Amino acid sequence: MEKKNIDIDVSKLTSNCFRQSKVKGECMLQMRVPGAVIKAEHLKYAVEIAEKWGNGDFHLGTRQTLSIPGIKYEDVSAVNKFLQSYIKGVEVDTCGVEMEVDSNGYATIGARNIMACIGNKHCLKANVNTTELARKLEKQIFPSPYHIKIGISGCPNDCAKGHFNDFGIIGLVKPEYDYERCIGCGKCVEACQGHATRVLTLTEDKKISKDSCCCVGCGECIVACPTGAWRRNPQEFYRVTIGGRAGKQYPRMGKMFLNFVTEEVLLKMLANWESFSADVLNHKPVYIHGGHLIDRAGYYNFKDKILAGVDLNPEAEVADHIYWAETEYRANIHVK
Amino acid sequence: MAFSLNYQKIDDILAKLSSDYDIYAPVRLVGEGKFSATDRIQYDKITRAEQIVYNEKSDFSPREIISPITQTLFYFTENEFIENLPESRSIIIFARPCDINAFKRLDKIFLENGDFADSYYKSRRDKVHFALLDCKGGWESCFCVSMGTNKTSDYSLAVNFNSKTVEIEVNDSSFNKYFNDIKQCSYQYNFVKKNKIEVELPEIRPEQIEKISDLQIWQEYGQRCKSCGSCTAVCPSCSCFTTRDISYKENKKAGERRRVWASCLHPDFTEMAGGHSYRETAAARIRFRTLHKIYDYKKRFDTVNMCVGCGRCTDTCTQLISFATLLNRLSQEIKKLSVLEEGVEYVSKSSSS
Repeated sequence: MEKKNIDIDVSKLTSNCFRQSKVKGECMLQMRVPGAVIKAEHLKYAVEIAEKWGNGDFHLGTRQTLSIPGIKYEDVSAVNKFLQSYIKGVEVDTCGVEMEVDSNGYATIGARNIMACIGNKHCLKANVNTTELARKLEKQIFPSPYHIKIGISGCPNDCAKGHFNDFGIIGLVKPEYDYERCIGCGKCVEACQGHATRVLTLTEDKKISKDSCCCVGCGECIVACPTGAWRRNPQEFYRVTIGGRAGKQYPRMGKMFLNFVTEEVLLKMLANWESFSADVLNHKPVYIHGGHLIDRAGYYNFKDKILAGVDLNPEAEVADHIYWAETEYRANIHVK
Repeated sequence: MAFSLNYQKIDDILAKLSSDYDIYAPVRLVGEGKFSATDRIQYDKITRAEQIVYNEKSDFSPREIISPITQTLFYFTENEFIENLPESRSIIIFARPCDINAFKRLDKIFLENGDFADSYYKSRRDKVHFALLDCKGGWESCFCVSMGTNKTSDYSLAVNFNSKTVEIEVNDSSFNKYFNDIKQCSYQYNFVKKNKIEVELPEIRPEQIEKISDLQIWQEYGQRCKSCGSCTAVCPSCSCFTTRDISYKENKKAGERRRVWASCLHPDFTEMAGGHSYRETAAARIRFRTLHKIYDYKKRFDTVNMCVGCGRCTDTCTQLISFATLLNRLSQEIKKLSVLEEGVEYVSKSSSS
């Protein structure tokens, strides 16, 4: 270890979005990029911080933050002062977060950066505007001291890996079938077989039959259809997975909690996360994965509390039970 | 004669016309496009002017109004059948010159191909009047001027929508009665004179066809084309259909015969008994479609080319194939063929038609 006389409150440093480095005396700043989209002009802040106070490197954070390693502890307050207009530009001006921005940097790291794929502004597959949703959610969760990790994907491909977040949000479409426009070419059947859940079949009459039970709402049939027989229903829907996480002991992929909910339902449900967390944690915001928190509360308790006051849309489905499946690097994890 | 109207007045006239005609125009289906947060523009019945999408090219062509995608031809029982000729009122279609010219191409196929006229097509087609939509300069993928389809005289009305007013040229005196007491103006339809792209059509001599079929360009496009058939679905001059007999589930002895659009880009288009197919590769299929559009049809009917240069195939292609670019490249390739030394014996590599 380097023989340096350093005295830093690491937990306060972490809450301020600076991560302790193995290099004694240094830390790494993590700048939030909600939904992973900012104006290019905001990148200049990262460049300047990296060149002026960092070690010149720039790291693309694994949660899509702009991360600047090699910042000296003594420079943290200068960096925070410089960060003020970035935080205002991104959090207040872009996301509409209601907060006072001062020169002390980020107030909390609790609610983590909201990850997202590029969404329907660009992607041919996406069903929703992930950037806009991320910004609405940022307004709702930041700056909460309670830990929450959200990943948003525009379609069930889940490129943003929502399945490994506390909450994975996936944009869905409910395709409408127009019998008269269908020429029975089977392109949608091929697409569904190749990319999705094989719910479409070509009937004897050369039209399409759909097993609606297992449609994942990806919209591949719509894109594949040459005549527009599959029509995009303009109402956007979401799937929500919960409890996903990585980790050394027992990584767990998130399981489906809600299916085909509207944005209104989604936002109202997530608005209950903070009070649910406070309740389970006895009002002490500590670092705990969402999945563990749900385990601690029990799924049924979680379900009641997180859906309290939420009027589900008619299409919405809610998981009765959750059967978690973990990769147990340490066996018998539930036996204490 | 031409008239200038505000939107209230044009709606009054549309209401009067609606009692005599079914009026079809391109309408916008908001958020129902192929991709998320995109619209779809396709033809539908309208009653009000604000429904008409006048400043964008429609994604689908008006041909489905006259030649429906799925059409029941007759119903049958064991001993009888009942013909299902469409009972149609008179029709007004808001369309641009390219699409009106495309109907002329369809007329050849449905009414003059062989020694009988297709009564299902004819029963509706005979009742069509066109209201010419102003192109307002056209769009980037259009090449109507190159195809000679930028003009038409087959229209009853010509209409120019502006933000507050609508100008209408009446080209058919039977429509005069709808325009009593309307302010006259000097509007005249502006036919597009120049497109952003020009297409040089290849000159093909029949004896070159085999060599043209063997051109490498088809292999290249065959690699790119996914055989989705979207280009044929949006095409105003495509006419291919297949027939299907449907037996009702409760009583297999009763049923109906339908015709349904077919696409020469789909692998099963040339499939025969035993599973044999003439055109097994995407390359062969895209070659067939291209040559049909700019050579075969013209040769068959000794008339104009089938393609009207609307560019919808280019607009819809998810593999970003531009039909205009393909045609220009083909022309260059054929020119190269033509300068090959005479007397060099050509050995065909192709066994397909």
